[in-house]
Amino acid sequence: MSSNAIVVVSWGEGRDGLPAGAVEVLTLGRKVAAAAGADLAWLVIGPASDKLAETAGQYGVASLERIEDAKLESFAPDTLVAAVSQYCESNNPKALLFNQIEETRQIAPRVAGRIGGGVVTNVIDIDASGDLKVTATAFGGDTNVVYELSGASTFAIAVNSTALVAEPAEAPTNPAAESVSVDLSSVEERFAVTQRPQAEGPRLEDADIIVSGGRGLGTPENYKLIQELAAALGGLPGASRPIVDEGWIDSSHQVGLTGKITRPALYLAAGISGASQHMAGCSAAKVLVAINKDEAASIFRYARYGIVGDCLEILPELIKAAKS
Amino acid sequence: MRIVVCAKEVLDPDAVNNYALAGRLEIGDDGKTITQSAIPQLINGFDEQGIEAALKLRDAGADFTLTVVSIGSDQKSLLKHSAAMGADEIVALRTEATDLDASAVANILTAYIQSSGGADLVLCGRQASDDDQGVVPALIAEALGMALVPIARDLELKSDTLSVTRVTADGDEVVEGAFPAVVTVSNELGDPRFPTAKGKMAARKKKPTVVNVDELGLAAEALAPKVKLTRQFVPEIQGNCEFLTGSPADVAQKLIENLRAESVIQ
Repeated sequence: MSSNAIVVVSWGEGRDGLPAGAVEVLTLGRKVAAAAGADLAWLVIGPASDKLAETAGQYGVASLERIEDAKLESFAPDTLVAAVSQYCESNNPKALLFNQIEETRQIAPRVAGRIGGGVVTNVIDIDASGDLKVTATAFGGDTNVVYELSGASTFAIAVNSTALVAEPAEAPTNPAAESVSVDLSSVEERFAVTQRPQAEGPRLEDADIIVSGGRGLGTPENYKLIQELAAALGGLPGASRPIVDEGWIDSSHQVGLTGKITRPALYLAAGISGASQHMAGCSAAKVLVAINKDEAASIFRYARYGIVGDCLEILPELIKAAKS
Repeated sequence: MRIVVCAKEVLDPDAVNNYALAGRLEIGDDGKTITQSAIPQLINGFDEQGIEAALKLRDAGADFTLTVVSIGSDQKSLLKHSAAMGADEIVALRTEATDLDASAVANILTAYIQSSGGADLVLCGRQASDDDQGVVPALIAEALGMALVPIARDLELKSDTLSVTRVTADGDEVVEGAFPAVVTVSNELGDPRFPTAKGKMAARKKKPTVVNVDELGLAAEALAPKVKLTRQFVPEIQGNCEFLTGSPADVAQKLIENLRAESVIQ
């Protein structure tokens, strides 16, 4: 790979077998590479699906690069940082683009720190016509900020892919697959996992239908209406941060900037005001339905359908209608 | 044992949100700074939870010195609050620079920690509620050569190791490793405690250690921003909400019919 490339960095398998958010970030990467007059590379680390080469071609990748190592069979942060940093030292890319998930939020800045690069997260757009300029969200989405990136040879950029739509390239490529050699023999994970997450069934991140509740439910007991409607619609229950902080429901249900970032077909928010912090986790929904007593509630600005009323009166009727 | 908590002063995110929701958030003539003087400055909530995490370790019987450090030109109220909560030492790293990026901030904090006897554990909030970037802890970890353990809801000191319960997309996981480490703390840790009257009294007598950033011996390039804020604006939201009206039974019926007609649900 030539230096100064735009490199999308991925690992892990999402629900379609490809790394989560990869095709969305590849779509942005292709635009950035074209504007910068650079090559688009896709660095995929660890085990991956056989669809990789086909997807790389569809999305206009010039070079598909693989790092495979027994130490990278599952998520291993110290090893990943070493692998990506070594890759950067030999290839000197202009930018590393990551799909922003909890894992990349620790890897991207560590790689930047290790190689003396710059780092920026929560990115929703990149302008590469001159020096790199990125648009990111701030204040939980209340504002957008533009950062100019200069003064380092490589920038690590974590992209919020829920804001992006995947678009295959007009001219597919036939990327050369290359195996990247790195030496990870001396890397040891400094913290060992002593208890794995208990698989709690399907994840909100992967759900097609989410029904979420907030303070407007009034009392913790009423959260069962959210669970019942979610079940009746074949979806999963979510929650706003205030009711998670108050212990009505555990944090695995929290949707928002510091919770789950979701992109369902349907997001139904009951008794949620629509603070930016929350919307950061659900504004990518195809259809958003809001139920709120306050007709001025911010959530209605994002909604496709709005119902002004008491969610405690409306939810039971919705459960009946959904079951009929 | 020494624990250092890094704390940032931010604009009150709830006040910013209220102004934004009311459509009255103002960006100044420089095109990048929020100018409402009515929005108070306060300690970043996640950083306050970093202090709380340390105090919980103390409650559990751990013996350590707790230092809270902050960068800026006036951190008096943040540091007093930290002392009132239970910090043993409060440190102001003084600079008039307003264009520090995350790398520069991490370099300053790293240089301070190294020049003041090091740390066994560095605690930071998972991100600051102003820029939401959340990258300084990882940069400090790399600069200090320490492990990074992000998004903690609970910490436990074992005989000579640290056990951390982390919040992940798949649920909680527990990791264990040796000191030193940088741990970031999330809201799942729980609300920070209110200072007691006794704590407030003690804080009144506590003077911050003031260190000028110039005295830390950092090279100019360590402070030069690579990520420069050039613009801040309030994004437009395209509203096209169709309001459904009628009795609860009517609106429920209409909504389900519409969603089925659009094949959003079955």
